[in-house]
Amino acid sequence: MGMNRRDFLKVSAAGSGGLLLSLNLAGCSGINKGYQEASVSWRPDAWLEITLEGEIFFTLARVEMGQGTYTGLTTLIAEELEVEPAAIQPRFAPVANEYRNPLFKLQLTGGSTSLATSWRPLRVAGASAKALLVKAAARVWQVPAEGCRVQEGRVLHPNGRDSLAYGQLVELAAAESLADEPALKSPDQWRYIGKGRGRLDTRAKVTGAAEYGIDVELPDMVYSVVTRPPRYGATVADFDAGEALAMSGVIDVFAIERGVAVVADKYWRARKALEKVTVQWDNAEALAVSSDSVMDFYRHAAEEDEGAKERDDGDISQALAAADQVIEASYEQPYLAHATLEPMNATAVYRDGRMEVWAPTQAPDLGRIAAARVTDLSPDEVTVHTTFLGGGFGRRLTQDFIEEAAAVAYRVRKPVKLIWSREDDTRHDLYRPAMLHRLKASVSGGQLTGWHHQIVGPQIMDWYVRNAAPAQYPWAPKALYGTLARVGVAAEGVLTPKDVSAIEGAVDYPYQVDSVEVRHTHADPGVPVTWWRSVGHSHNGFAVETFMDELAHQLGKDPYQFRRELLQHEPRHLAVLERAAQLGNWFEPLAEGRGRGIALHRSFGTYVAQVVEASIEAGEIRVHRVACAVDCGQVVNPDIVRDQVESGVIFGITAALYGKITFEDGAVQESNFHDYPLLRAHQRPEVVVDIVESAAAPTGIGEPGVPPVIPALGNALFALTGERQRHLPLAARSA
Amino acid sequence: MAVTLTINGQRHSVDVEDDTPLLWVIRDEVGLKGTKFGCGRALCGACTVYLDGSPIRSCSTPVSVAAGQSVTTIEGLSAGDTLHKLQQAWIEHGVPQCGYCQSGQLMTAAHLLSYNPTPSDADIDAAMSGNLCRCGTYSNLVAAIKSVAGKAEEA
Repeated sequence: MGMNRRDFLKVSAAGSGGLLLSLNLAGCSGINKGYQEASVSWRPDAWLEITLEGEIFFTLARVEMGQGTYTGLTTLIAEELEVEPAAIQPRFAPVANEYRNPLFKLQLTGGSTSLATSWRPLRVAGASAKALLVKAAARVWQVPAEGCRVQEGRVLHPNGRDSLAYGQLVELAAAESLADEPALKSPDQWRYIGKGRGRLDTRAKVTGAAEYGIDVELPDMVYSVVTRPPRYGATVADFDAGEALAMSGVIDVFAIERGVAVVADKYWRARKALEKVTVQWDNAEALAVSSDSVMDFYRHAAEEDEGAKERDDGDISQALAAADQVIEASYEQPYLAHATLEPMNATAVYRDGRMEVWAPTQAPDLGRIAAARVTDLSPDEVTVHTTFLGGGFGRRLTQDFIEEAAAVAYRVRKPVKLIWSREDDTRHDLYRPAMLHRLKASVSGGQLTGWHHQIVGPQIMDWYVRNAAPAQYPWAPKALYGTLARVGVAAEGVLTPKDVSAIEGAVDYPYQVDSVEVRHTHADPGVPVTWWRSVGHSHNGFAVETFMDELAHQLGKDPYQFRRELLQHEPRHLAVLERAAQLGNWFEPLAEGRGRGIALHRSFGTYVAQVVEASIEAGEIRVHRVACAVDCGQVVNPDIVRDQVESGVIFGITAALYGKITFEDGAVQESNFHDYPLLRAHQRPEVVVDIVESAAAPTGIGEPGVPPVIPALGNALFALTGERQRHLPLAARSA
Repeated sequence: MAVTLTINGQRHSVDVEDDTPLLWVIRDEVGLKGTKFGCGRALCGACTVYLDGSPIRSCSTPVSVAAGQSVTTIEGLSAGDTLHKLQQAWIEHGVPQCGYCQSGQLMTAAHLLSYNPTPSDADIDAAMSGNLCRCGTYSNLVAAIKSVAGKAEEA
């Protein structure tokens, strides 16, 4: 990377006498982010601290929401530092520039980027600490550093007898320096990377000791619940809190930006008092759409505007004009909620001119902006502490729960825990957008010659930028927040990465076809939307891989062979496709009453192919087996990779079978797990995962399991029933 | 009003309304945070505790129902530092991902084994079908249960 020490590493003595290593992750990322990182001044936040007692603390800048960063990133440090991963104690990072995700220029965890962006820098941090400790030991012993070895937290003397523990060396190591970035271990020297080991947070999570946001407890804490308008965008016209205020334990009832908040000494008292609050909503600006009208709006938009050209290979018009046959299909996909099992919540306290917030958030720096926006505080006056997250899936990238807790705490001047009900969580989510896809293919001489894909729907950055843009420029005065948000949208691709949320997984159509055109018709019906596990891939994967299946059948080809023939130029796609077919018994006869479907999708740099076996039993779709082949580059923890792929499969099947948020006159109709169900234990398929061995740089794993399973299941149902379903969720219709 | 109940062997007297769900008494009055709030309507199982040895959904059980009775939470599943064999199996099988539902999963699984030490696959499915996991850890947790039940894993 050609960096000198000043650029990548700062060594200092800890206040307690230990060794502190700070690291410039942002500058060290090997990933081209499309803009220049401004130079940042060093802050005393350490990535790695080794104390005199030999304790090792690692600041975890990517939150743990089940995807395994707590273990995976710690393993990278442990490998180079030559200690057991369990010997390192991860700490959740505070908000600081050093902890930003270099891809987004924000301190957020998302996009399946944690391991890819940390892969090199964290190993460098571990190796640097080790090199400093070895230099210190060599100086003590007056021997060449090259002769010293390191083992389980000790530096060994070349004589093979003497050794010094890291804790004994830290004070001296803090005074040492490194001329160059130290060499990293070669793969054949790895002891932890690539080996299946348990997770570091498991014991805390099986004893009930792990602290999630909802578990935060402060002295003299009070509780708040909020009623929000049924129709998105409505505001409080008036409210009557007379009865509520007379109830036992109720402290205050007042309007905040998003509704009416009740504060009481106990959660249940607040919840009951809220039922007695009557609110008149001003619906002048409220959403009025219904799910059916959204699809009508999309169809109309698709006819009016062919959309921005996002990919243009060959000549699609010519291909369509010269075709023997043109095949067309449209696919409709609904709004989806995140349904994290821990409902949205945050705890905040305002005292002495400062606010402290504790929250299960995927983006603590945006949380700081959110708190500042609804108070008179500047972001610098807000501290955000991150806890374990009871699921994220993109929901906790938006900070509305912090916004509400901050507004309430600022008014009541007491520590406040604000908790959403499950109904609040389902009805006031920001959703995976409903999308319309129109596909057209040209066939000549039995060959696919052209592919035309029109995607119709909103872009997520339009919704996200309100807090994201100010978070990128935290020194900007608050009066500029609105401007920054508008500039953020306008300068997309220049100041911020291009918003690919609608087109990802479509523009990178991998099959070898002479003419490929992909267009996006930007149509936003005003329903709040955000990132949802695998984002655009979740709907593009379904459209692309279902249409591929339709084409195979129209051309009289085997769906696996059809894909295979068109992937001869894409070895990594081809490898996972072939392995999934093998693992999924593609060539074996199938039991009576079952159908088999295949799909392939690359997302977040990771290649996943899946073969699904399904049936319809007693009027319900039953998924029996999902065979997955995955190539995510170098694997750090194979157990976590398998678990994440399986987790994505369950998440995708849940969406395919049940996922549907319905709007009627601007209001969400679903409310809890009875009408927004999740797959249950007895409905789980057998999931088998084959991991391709690879020395390529690691890519994402939290999301890539989701996109292929939805079309693979739909394709299996087609094989079973002969009926093609082009709308999600899938219906249990027998042949 | 004051309600007296025993939680994990300790007597507690709490001053709350009768209709307060047991969940909030356990979490906020007694301070045991391992039992989780997920849905508030007995649909997800994250709040599962035992009332006199039988699993209940504490989010939908008024504290008055538990008055004078004995409640066991995830904190009471292990004996001091010695983990319940299922907790140990959960660790060995790396079950938890986000982990939020796992207290409820463990309470349900431990109850199953308490009356049916060698459950069939169908028994396990039936017992665990009431506990939702958004991370999809089902196959790992079923494998963990089987390992404790001393039953060979079936393909």
